[in-house]
Amino acid sequence: MITVAELTKRFGNKTAVDQLSFEVRPGVVTGFLGPNGSGKSTTMRCMLDLDRPERGTMLFDNRRFRDLKSPLHEVGALLDAGYVHPGRSGRNHLRWLAASNGIARARVDEVLNLVGLTAVAGARLRTYSLGMRQRLGLAAVLLGDPHTVILDEPANGLDPEGIRWIRDVLTHLASEGRTVLVSSHQLSEIALMASDLVVIGQGRLIEQGTVNEFIERHADRWVRVKGPAVKSLRGALAKAGGEVTETADALDVRGLTCETVGELAAAGNLVLHELSPQTGSLEDAFLKVTAAAQEFRSGVTEVAS
Amino acid sequence: MINVLRSEWIKLRTVRMNWILGIIAFAFPLIVTLLTAFFSGDDSDFTGLILLEVLTGTTVVTTLLCGVIAAASITGEFGFGTIRPTFAAVPRRMRVIAGKGIVAIGTAMVLVVFVVLIGVFVGQQLAEGQGATIDFDAYPSASAALLGTVLLAGLMSLAGYGLGMMTRSTPAAISILIVWPLIAEGLIGGLIGVATGWENVGAWMPFQAGISLVFVEFNDFDGPSRVIAGLYFGGVATVLAAIGAWAVNRRDA
Repeated sequence: MITVAELTKRFGNKTAVDQLSFEVRPGVVTGFLGPNGSGKSTTMRCMLDLDRPERGTMLFDNRRFRDLKSPLHEVGALLDAGYVHPGRSGRNHLRWLAASNGIARARVDEVLNLVGLTAVAGARLRTYSLGMRQRLGLAAVLLGDPHTVILDEPANGLDPEGIRWIRDVLTHLASEGRTVLVSSHQLSEIALMASDLVVIGQGRLIEQGTVNEFIERHADRWVRVKGPAVKSLRGALAKAGGEVTETADALDVRGLTCETVGELAAAGNLVLHELSPQTGSLEDAFLKVTAAAQEFRSGVTEVAS
Repeated sequence: MINVLRSEWIKLRTVRMNWILGIIAFAFPLIVTLLTAFFSGDDSDFTGLILLEVLTGTTVVTTLLCGVIAAASITGEFGFGTIRPTFAAVPRRMRVIAGKGIVAIGTAMVLVVFVVLIGVFVGQQLAEGQGATIDFDAYPSASAALLGTVLLAGLMSLAGYGLGMMTRSTPAAISILIVWPLIAEGLIGGLIGVATGWENVGAWMPFQAGISLVFVEFNDFDGPSRVIAGLYFGGVATVLAAIGAWAVNRRDA
């Protein structure tokens, strides 16, 4: 269990994290979401005692990080795969980490094998791609077989096979009862692996709960209707109070239930090929919830055709 | 703490630059000293004092390079970001700071012990093989000078390590470490001398005082004695390291 309470961190006049409180429970993957500059990485650094916060308490199973005797056995963290010396080999990078916590040298080769880097373990890290460094970072996380795992953008630079692999690893770790906190901008990945969410914006907590609750509460919902003459239903749907959007081969109806749409189609003797409730994605819900907290926004939103 | 020392030792010896600097630091005084001894011939003016002075004098370069290695051992961590996984693995920062310092300083002192031993014994054999007469017993302070060389390596490493922790930048730390003893102290000493009339103030500059640890003879030297010089430069190096350690412990990693 991770507990963050009243965390506040400032850089000069800028408040990066503002009285942030949340909990991460064991046994599930928790996604840590927020727009760029929202304070996710700062929060993670504060949790690991790397940044000194102005105030707040960060506990791992009710213990402060600095009080952990062998941190790698308790908390495995990957903040940035680039935190390596480019002249060192992958194996030597893991060896100094392992030695710092009294972890046997044999374990280094085990985790290298686990992440698929055995063949390049002796190569200098400057020759590693970003994806290979991410795998090495995950190997470092797994070195001490920790019960808590914290990862900042672990899928960055990974190929599709690597992304699936990391998803499988994290869900497996969580299924073993470990606490897993993952920040990512790849919302589709979070949707696939996370059960819980912590969403922050401008350093403040926006929402904490399960992924399903989050989508339920914030994502758009509509009814999709398809059929050979479905467009003739448009008038009846509008008259019943529906907001209708026409697509190439279907109507998307907001404001009416499936039942109402079905009954209107039956009343008009229309054949339907599809009548289904639709729910927006985690991405839609996230963008909606964090719209006000976007610090950096693209200047161009549409490409003229 | 043993785990931290082991980890820091792996870090130190798995970076190629440290090996290159270490080999230069090891080889430079030995090459100069042994070539000098070898080409001494049967020159009756070539004495044990000359051999010792060439060895200790050139080993000052070794001690400066040891300071560079010590500085880079911490600045490299900040430069490449490896300080973060380091502190995430060992959150009690003072342990890391102490462990890294012990490894850097200890390695420097051991390296200089080997330089001194090889320089003295092989140099003596080479010179005597050419017909020179080398009698170290004629110089009672020879042992103190050789020990001073080893101590200077440790203190120079401590100073370099302190500067590294304070600046967090390899170019800045190395520049200060080289410019301070070789240029800045001469200028500052000269200015103070002109302003106060104290002619020998240069000998009391911290690094110059430290370098006097390696003097075999103190004839015509109007600076601090060997013990005072050691305590003085040791104090300055300790203050630099203490300020650096305080800054690293307090600031964001």
